[in-house]
Parts: sequence; structure tokens; C-alpha cells
Amino acid sequence: MAEEKGLARARAVYRNRRHRAEELKAAGKKVIGYLCAYPPLEMMTALDIVPFRLLGDINEPISKADSCLPSVVCPFIRSTLDLGLKQRYEFLDGVVMAHSCDVAEKTAHIWNIYLKPDYFHFIDTPHTAGPSAVAQHRGLLAAFGKTLEELAGKKITTRSLKEAIKLHNRQRALVRQLYSFRKPDPPLISGVETLQVMVALMSLPVTEGNELLEEVINEVSRRQDSPPQKKARLLVWGSILDNTSLIEMMEGLDASLVMDDTCVGSRFFWPDVELTEDPLDGLARRYLVDVKCPRTFRQTNDGGKTKDYRADLEARFGYLKEYARDWNVQGVVLQSLRYCDIHGYEVPQVKDYLKGLGLPSIYIEHDYQQTAMAPLKTRIQAFLEILDRG
Amino acid sequence: MSKAKGHFAGIDLGSTMTKVLLIDGEGQVVARRHGPTGAEHRRLANRVMAQALEEAGLSLEQIDYIVATGYGRVNIPFADCEVTELSCHARGVSHLFPRARTAIDIGGQDAKALKIKNGRLIDFVMNDRCAAGTGRFLEVTAAALGIKLEDMGRLSLEATESVKIGSTCTIFAQQEIVGLITAGKPLPRILAGLHEAIARRVLEMARGLEIEADVVLTGGVAQNEGVVRAIGHNLGGKVLVPDEPLYSGALGAALLAGDMASKASANGAAVPGRERRLEAARLYEDLED
Repeated sequence: MAEEKGLARARAVYRNRRHRAEELKAAGKKVIGYLCAYPPLEMMTALDIVPFRLLGDINEPISKADSCLPSVVCPFIRSTLDLGLKQRYEFLDGVVMAHSCDVAEKTAHIWNIYLKPDYFHFIDTPHTAGPSAVAQHRGLLAAFGKTLEELAGKKITTRSLKEAIKLHNRQRALVRQLYSFRKPDPPLISGVETLQVMVALMSLPVTEGNELLEEVINEVSRRQDSPPQKKARLLVWGSILDNTSLIEMMEGLDASLVMDDTCVGSRFFWPDVELTEDPLDGLARRYLVDVKCPRTFRQTNDGGKTKDYRADLEARFGYLKEYARDWNVQGVVLQSLRYCDIHGYEVPQVKDYLKGLGLPSIYIEHDYQQTAMAPLKTRIQAFLEILDRG
Repeated sequence: MSKAKGHFAGIDLGSTMTKVLLIDGEGQVVARRHGPTGAEHRRLANRVMAQALEEAGLSLEQIDYIVATGYGRVNIPFADCEVTELSCHARGVSHLFPRARTAIDIGGQDAKALKIKNGRLIDFVMNDRCAAGTGRFLEVTAAALGIKLEDMGRLSLEATESVKIGSTCTIFAQQEIVGLITAGKPLPRILAGLHEAIARRVLEMARGLEIEADVVLTGGVAQNEGVVRAIGHNLGGKVLVPDEPLYSGALGAALLAGDMASKASANGAAVPGRERRLEAARLYEDLED
């Protein structure tokens, strides 16, 4: 694998995520699994611990998780726990999970009980983004730092944390640069390739991820075999997409996926961490306020005192308008995993906001199963037919 | 309908029925045929096509353009292109009812609601991957009650009131019906209750689109006058039904074939087609091997 470079390396890591993590572990590194976009990676990097994103597997039927989780909850988290129960994450030194949503919170504790990891930490991330919530979040991150320091047998210093923040901000800047190659028509990198790179970044230490990004950017910027031009340019919004199959289906039709607002994508990487004097202040703010997942309740900037519905929508979804403009988006696919209530609550308003922009959208729910793509294909194809004639 | 010369075909390979409809350049229907899609027949859409061609006295080569639709639209070896059933139903319905703004299509295994503007599909909703409240639900229930599917609608009209059936889950509704029969409820009332349950379910879905008149009910289930009555009753207004509701999708496909041909000839281009073979259709399962 070491000989492969750029997109080929990203694809190889995407297909065998644990390979590099296991090598690092054999070389004496500690590797910690994290769920969702909320545990601050910089704190692990500062202690030379490798963060490794916990993901599911849509090709693996869920057979063990249903004995300890209800079947009517997020199929991604059920799949992830199922993999844990099947010893697919046994190489990890432990896990950190956050209260990203209720299912993640319950699953964190279920994981701890059933899998008894050597290291376990739970961050009770607040669900609002006001000043008191940020202050509380800062305290929670300080407590996370303490257990990490015990695990690593050394201290996080201001300097090491600032260095880690710079490395991760560098990664974010490179990801934004990579996404800019999706602005031309046709884009220089497909949605499928982009997702493979994003998954690879979440499976590698930050320095190796940054090297990979530099290779990919170099390759893509001069490539002759860029994706073909398609009729429609789409943005995908919503629940986690950690597998390329849904995007492959869309790009197999006459559409290019040119932008995303999902958490193995822009939602995870977009905002930088501000280098504050005490780095925890910047981390607390970035991970709670700046990561735009609907798991956090947001109000208009005045704290919801006015009842201006449009201003509220603008404050919450204004970034989508910029994405649509800058990436020349013609239609938006709002997708949610079945039973994802946090995205379900958001759909009517995000749909209404997009309607106000004159941007067509379609809402689909899916089951986190490779086999269930045909009915979704009909919906996407009909949506493209509407766009084509619009 | 744009005036294109020649003949055009729509083939709608649905979950239950395969429908073929041929039109001439004026949009007049010259033949229509259907046959079951069911497990043993599902690959035999070519036979339905051959029958329709025979009825019209035409050969495959005389058909200028063929559009396939329905869940089996992919990989029909004699179709020139595929269009989703959503666009086809919208096209077919607005041809028959130019004032239609909402179409509800209840087929064998799914139900959908379409918004139509200027003869075109502008928005839609579809039910999820469950046959609750669709044609299959009626089929299974008819079999359980020992009556013919085509008699259900007429029988239900004999009832002046309906019993309440809470579930449209095919399995759970069976249990409710067994209970109702045991309790001595008359059959027409039970059937009326079933049709009410279907109407409620499909309208609950359609209301997400803001239903506007005229409303057209189409698809195989629109042949059941009990369902038509129940939907009209729940909407508080009249529901229009085509004379041949089973064929709305195939009609739309044929009309779209004509549209594509005339658009291409207006641009001085040939319609992009594929090589046709009047052979059995291959399905996803075959391709995955």
C-alpha cells in the first residue's frame, strides 16, 4: 500500500481502513476510536494518539447489535456497534464518544458495558450553542484531556495542543482546497472519489492525512481523466454517508455530486479552530458552535427573541446558499438515514429555505443497506427529470 | 402532443402488470395490451409488446421511438430509452385531463402522488418499501376473503357505512379482518373499511404536496370503484379516473417518446436510440450474477 499515491492510496485506505492503524499500533502507537464529529481530534494528536473514526459497514447485515439496541434507531450506529460486537474494532486501545445524538449517547454506554474497552471516555456535549453551553463544553473537554493524559502517561501542553490545532487546521484548509476542484464543470474530482479521500483521512494520523491530501491535490489539479460532464450538479445534505454506494448510484445517473453537507465531508472539515490563548477555548467553540449538525439546536442570533421565521432560516442555513452559489448547484438531495430524528426534524425547514432560494430539492430516507438502492434510484432519476425540464 | 410522424410506444413494466401502448403521430391510441409481470412472466415483456404490435398491424421497425418505464424499465432490450414512471404518469394524466394538478397513482406495490404544472411533473412523493395500502394489499385481502379482486370495489359500494380498520400493514390488516368476520360484520362493510384505510394512507402521504384540484386517480387500483369513492369522500371533492387507469404510465411513456422524437427532429437531429432486440427483459437479478 505504501507505494500507492494520491487517489489510488485514498481508495486503498477506504477499502481497508484498519490496515494502517494496525501497523501504527504494532509500532507502539495508541489508536483511539471516536464516534461522530464531536470528540476534538487535536487533543489526541497532541498526545501522539491516533484518532480513528468509528464507521459502520452497509455490506454487513446487522445481526448482533439488535440484542442490545432497539431496531428502530439509527441504522448507522446499530451497524457500528454491530461491528464492535463482532470484534472488528478489537485493535483499538479504546474509544471516545460524545452525546452527539441520543442514540450515540446510549450506544456509548452500551459499548462500554459490552465491549469493555481499556480506555473509554464519554463527552456529554451540550445541545445548544449559547455562551453558557460553550463554557460547559470547555469544562467537558478539560475533563477529556485528563483521561487522555492518564492513558498517554504524559501531559497535554499548551504548545503541543496549539501544534496539533495547526496540523488539523492545515488538513481543513487542504480539504477546502480539494473541494474547490469540484467547482468547475465537469468537476475535477467525483463525489465518489471525494468520499474515499474523506474516509481515508479519518483512518490515518493527521500528518499522513495531510500528505495524502497534498498528493491528491497535486494529482487532481493536473489530471487528464477527470469525471465526464453530466446534466445536473447536485449537493447532498443530511445524515452520515460513510459508503460510496448512494453517491455512486447518483453519479451513475446523469448527475455530478459537487458539494456535500454531511459529516464525512464538509460538515466535519469546514470550520477551522481559532488559535486562542488557551487553546481549549477555541476547541470548545469550534466543536460545539461551528460544526453545523442539526444535533445542536440553533436560534437566530438574538437568541430567538424575534419571531422572524425567514431570519431564523437564514441564520441556520445561510451557508447552504453560499455552497449552492459557489459550486453552481442545480438541485439538492436531502437524505436521512431511517429513524434519524435530528435530521428528520430539520427537513421541513431546510426544504422550505431551499424553496425560498428557488433551489429544487428532494428528500429521501434510506436504510443503510447496499441492497435497497433500486427504489431510491427511481426517486433520484425522477428528480433529475424534473431538473432537466425545469 | 407535438405532431410527430410515425408511431410511438410506451412500455410500463410494473411490479404486477406489464402494459404496452402504441400511439400514432396524432397521439391516438392504436393498440394497448397488458400481461402479468409475476415471477414466471416477469422476463416476458417482449410477448406483450409482440401482441400489441400484432393488434396494431405494425412491426417493431415501424415504431419510431420506444420509452420504457416502471420498476423494470432498466434493461428492456427493445426500448430506446427509459424514463421514470413518475414523469410518465404525469405526462399521461395531463394528456387525458389537461386541468389535472395532482395525480395519485396506486400500483401493485407502491403508491405515489404527483404534482403537475403545465403538463409536467414538478414534485412527487412515493411510499416506502412496503406494500401497505397498495394493489398487493387488496390482492392478498381478496384471497383471504375468498372473493375476486375485481369484485371488491363493487361489493363495497353496497355498504352505506364502513367498519374501522386501523392497520394498512398487509399482515396486521388480515388479523383485523379475521376478527371482524368472527364478530359477524357484513362483508361489504369490511371491504368499505379496507378501502377507507387505503384512502387515508395514500392521502396522508399526498398531503405533503398540498393537494390541488383537479385530482386524478390512476394505476391499477383506480379500477376499484370502492377506493375511488373512499378517496373522493376523504378529499371532500370529485376524483377523476381515466377510462383505462392501468395504462396511464404506458400512455405517458408513448407520448414522451413522441415528444422526444419531435424535439430531436426540430433540432435536425436523430433521436438517440439503442439497438433493439425483441427479447426477454433482463432484470437486476440477472445482471448481478
